[in-house]
Amino acid sequence: MSDAYIVGAGQSAFGSSPEETYRTLFREAYEAAAPADLDPDEVDEAFVGTLGVGGRQIGLAGPAVTEHVGLHGVPCTRVENACAASGYALRQAVMAVESGMADLVLAGGVEVMTDASADATKYWLGVSGETEWERMAGTTFAGVYAQMADAYLREYDAPRRALSAVAAKNHANGARNPKAHLGFECSVEDAETADVVADPLTLYHCCPTSDGAAAAFVASESVATSFDDRVRVAGVGAASDRVGLFQRDTYTAIPASESAAAAAYDRAGVADPRTDLDFAEVHDCFAIAELLAYEDLGVCGRGEAADLALDGATALDGDLPINTSGGLKAKGHPIGATGAGQAVEAFDQLTGRAGERQLDDPERGLAHSVGGSGGAAVVHVFEAEGVTGA
Amino acid sequence: MSAPEPGPGHADDRNDADARILGAGTYAPAARLPREAVVEAWGRSRARGIDAVAVPAPDEDVLTMGVAAAERALAAAGIDATDLAGLAFGTTTPPLAEEDLLPRLGAALGAPADARTHYAGRSTRAGTRALRAARDASAFPALVVAADAPRAPPNSAEGHGAGAGAVAVVLGPVSGTGAALVGDAEVSADYPGTRFRRAGGDDGGVERLGVTAYDRTAFTRPIVAAVGVLGDDADAFDPASAAALAVTAPDGDLPAHAARAIGIAPEAVSTPVNALGDVGAAAPLLGLAAALHDGVARTLVVGWGSGAGADALLVDGVAPVEGQVGDGVGDARELSYTAALRRRGEIASDDPPAGGGAAVSAPTWRRSIPARYRLRAGRCPACDALVFPPEGACPDCRALVDYESVRLPPAGVVETVTGVSPGGAPPEFARQAERGGDYAVAIVRFEREGARVSAPMQVADADPDSVASGDLVRAVFRRIYVQEGVIRYGRKALPAAEDGDR
Repeated sequence: MSDAYIVGAGQSAFGSSPEETYRTLFREAYEAAAPADLDPDEVDEAFVGTLGVGGRQIGLAGPAVTEHVGLHGVPCTRVENACAASGYALRQAVMAVESGMADLVLAGGVEVMTDASADATKYWLGVSGETEWERMAGTTFAGVYAQMADAYLREYDAPRRALSAVAAKNHANGARNPKAHLGFECSVEDAETADVVADPLTLYHCCPTSDGAAAAFVASESVATSFDDRVRVAGVGAASDRVGLFQRDTYTAIPASESAAAAAYDRAGVADPRTDLDFAEVHDCFAIAELLAYEDLGVCGRGEAADLALDGATALDGDLPINTSGGLKAKGHPIGATGAGQAVEAFDQLTGRAGERQLDDPERGLAHSVGGSGGAAVVHVFEAEGVTGA
Repeated sequence: MSAPEPGPGHADDRNDADARILGAGTYAPAARLPREAVVEAWGRSRARGIDAVAVPAPDEDVLTMGVAAAERALAAAGIDATDLAGLAFGTTTPPLAEEDLLPRLGAALGAPADARTHYAGRSTRAGTRALRAARDASAFPALVVAADAPRAPPNSAEGHGAGAGAVAVVLGPVSGTGAALVGDAEVSADYPGTRFRRAGGDDGGVERLGVTAYDRTAFTRPIVAAVGVLGDDADAFDPASAAALAVTAPDGDLPAHAARAIGIAPEAVSTPVNALGDVGAAAPLLGLAAALHDGVARTLVVGWGSGAGADALLVDGVAPVEGQVGDGVGDARELSYTAALRRRGEIASDDPPAGGGAAVSAPTWRRSIPARYRLRAGRCPACDALVFPPEGACPDCRALVDYESVRLPPAGVVETVTGVSPGGAPPEFARQAERGGDYAVAIVRFEREGARVSAPMQVADADPDSVASGDLVRAVFRRIYVQEGVIRYGRKALPAAEDGDR
C-alpha cells in the first residue's frame, strides 16, 4: 500500500464574490492548487464536495466543475457530507491512492452561499441536522450549536468569555490571511458585547456564510516524488453519528469527532496530540465547536477547553496553535469547500507558504471537519517532508 | 316598517333530559389587549361592555385552542379520547375555508377513526349547533368543541371587540351522572345585515351595517322566541328559573338586552365577554362552563347567529370543569395596541420566498403525525429503550425492530435551550417570529417507566430569556408552520410557569 501525499493545495479567496460563479471559483482553487509541472492528463480521479446551497447544480455538480477546469473525462464523484463534504472528499482521494487504484487524485470542494436573498438563503442553512424534527421545531443551525453551548457552559460552569476568546484568536489569525472572508481583528470585548444570535452565542461566535472553493492534489509515493512539495497524509479517520443533536447521548461532545481522531491518531502514531501535533485546523463553525474540538481531539481533558482558550495556549504563539488560518470563524465557511480549505492551510504551514501566520518549522498538523452538528466527522494528520512518524 | 315576525318555532318532542354533560374544559390565549390600549390608539373603544380581548398567539387557531379545551374537558369528565364515539366542532373561523377539521381534531386527541363527526360553521350559532348535533346523534361519549377567534377591520366595533376562546364539553348518555341537557328549541328570523362576512378567499372579517335598534331586535327577537318554544318543550320550565344565562355575545351589551327580554336579571349573564371579548361561536358554551364552574344549578344556554336565528336548551345540574375563563384570568399578559396588531398579523410583511432546502413533503409529514400530534414514541422490544421519533434502529441496542407504540407523558424537562430572533428564524417560521417575536427552541426530555427520550421542541408563549435548562414544560398542540397553504400542527413545550388555568 502506498502512502498518500498532498503535492499541491490551494484555494480561492473565501468571501462574498458576486462576480464569480461556482465554476469560476473552483477554477481559481484548481489553479492555486496545481503544482508546477502538473499534467492534467495524469489525473486519475476527482472527488468534489458541495452541499449545493441555493439548489444549484443538484445533479452532476462534480463533473460540472472538473470539466470546467479541463479535467476532461476524469471520473469525478460528488461527495456530500454537509460541512465535512470536502474533508470526506479528501479522504476519498487518500483511499483511492492507498488502494492503488489511482496515483494522482484531485480532492476539492466549492460552495456559493451569498448570491441569493437573505430569506431564500435561510432555506439552505440548518438543513444538515435531523431536519424533519430540529428544523421543524423552528431551530436554526446556530440554534443547535447554541443548545450545545448552553449545555456546555452549564455542565462545566464555564464562562461565555471562553467563546469570545476563541473568536478573538481566530480573527487575529484571519487578519493575517489574505484569503480570509473576515480578515479583521476583533477583541474579546467586541465578541462579548455583539448582538446575540442564539443565546449564548453572539454574532462574533458565529462563522459567516461564504463563497469559495479549495482543492488539493493527492499523489501516490511514486508519483509524489516528481513534485517539489510533498506533505504526507500520516493518518485519516472518520465516523458518523445520528444526525440530530437530540438523538445523541451527549450535548457537550461530538462523539464522531472523538472516534475519527482516535482512528487518525492510531494510524499516524500520535500518542499525545498536545505534544505530537504542531498545529491544528479544527471545525469552528461556532465558537463552542472549537471548545468541543479541543476535548474531542484529546488536546485537553473534558471540561478543560475553556481554560485552554482563555490561557492563549491555542493562539498563533501558543504551544499548540489552532486555526492559524482564521478558521471557519474568520477565514470563512463555504460549506463544501471548508474541509479542503483546512488541508490548504496544513499544506501551506508544512511547506512554509503560510506568510504572516507561518509557524516555525512545524512538522505535524491536523485538520478536523464536522458535518452538521456531528452527524459526520473526519480527521486528517499531515506530516512535513522528512518527518517519519510521530 | 316593522321587523318580520320570527318564523314558526320548532319544539323537540323530548321533554326529559336526553344527554348529560360529564365535564367541560375551557381555554383562552395568554395575551390580552385591554380596552385602554384601544382607547389610546383610536381615541375610544367602540366595543361596548368589553374590558379586554384575548389575542391568540401566532401559532394558535381555533383548532389548537379547541384541542386545549378538549384535553381539559376530557380530563374533567374522566374520559379517555380513545373511547369517544362522537366529535363535534363549531366555529366561524376555521383555519381553512375548505377542508374538514374533524379528522385533525380526532388525530390530535387520539379519538377513534369511526367516531361520528359533525361540523357547524358560518354563524355564531355554530357552538350550540355542534352541541345539538352531538346530542341528537346519541353516539356517546361525545366531545363537543366550540372555538372562535373572530376578525374584523381594526377600527370597527367588531374589530375593537374581537376576542378568542375555546370550550369543550363531554356528553354522555342520560342514564349517567352529570348535568342534564333538557329541552331543545330553535327559531329562525330573517334579518339580513347584522353580522356577515363576504364570500371570497380573502374576506376582510366581520362586518355589520350598524343600525343600532335593528341590530338589537335581530338579536333579542329570535332569542325570546326560542326561549318561549323551549318553555313549551321543557315541562313546567320557567325561563326566569335559570340562575345563569349563557348566551352569544357579539358585544357586552346585547346579552343584557336579551336577559331583560327573557325576564332574567342581566347580572345572570355568565358569558365571559367582558374579559375575553367577542368569542363568536364559543360564547354560549363558555358561559355554560363558567356557570358549571360556579356551581349554578340551572343554566339557560342560548346560541344566536346572524341571519338570524337562535337555539335554546337548558342545562340542569352541575359537572366538573377544568380551566377557568373570566374573572379568574388574572395573570394574562397585556399587549400594547401595536403588539396586538402585530400578533394578529394585521401588519405583516410579504411572505418569504417559497421553497428550498429543508422542505418536508406532506406525505413524509403525515407519516410522522402520531409522533407530532400525540408524542407517540416507540419502545424497543429488545431492550425497552424509548425512541423518538419511533423509527430506525434502536439507538441503544441497535436492533432494527418494530417498536411498540407508547405515548410519552405530556410533562417534560428542558435539557438545553436557546432563543431564535425574528431575523434569524428559518423561513418557515419567519411570519410566526414577525408576529410573536423571539421564540425559544429547546431539547425536552421525557420519562416513561424509567426510560428517557428527548425531542427538539419549540417553546410556546414564552420569552426566550425566561426559559432555562431544568424548567418543567407540558406538550401543547400548536401550529408549527405553513407550507404551500397546508397548516402543519404538532406539539410545543409550554413552560409550567405559563400553564395557568386559562
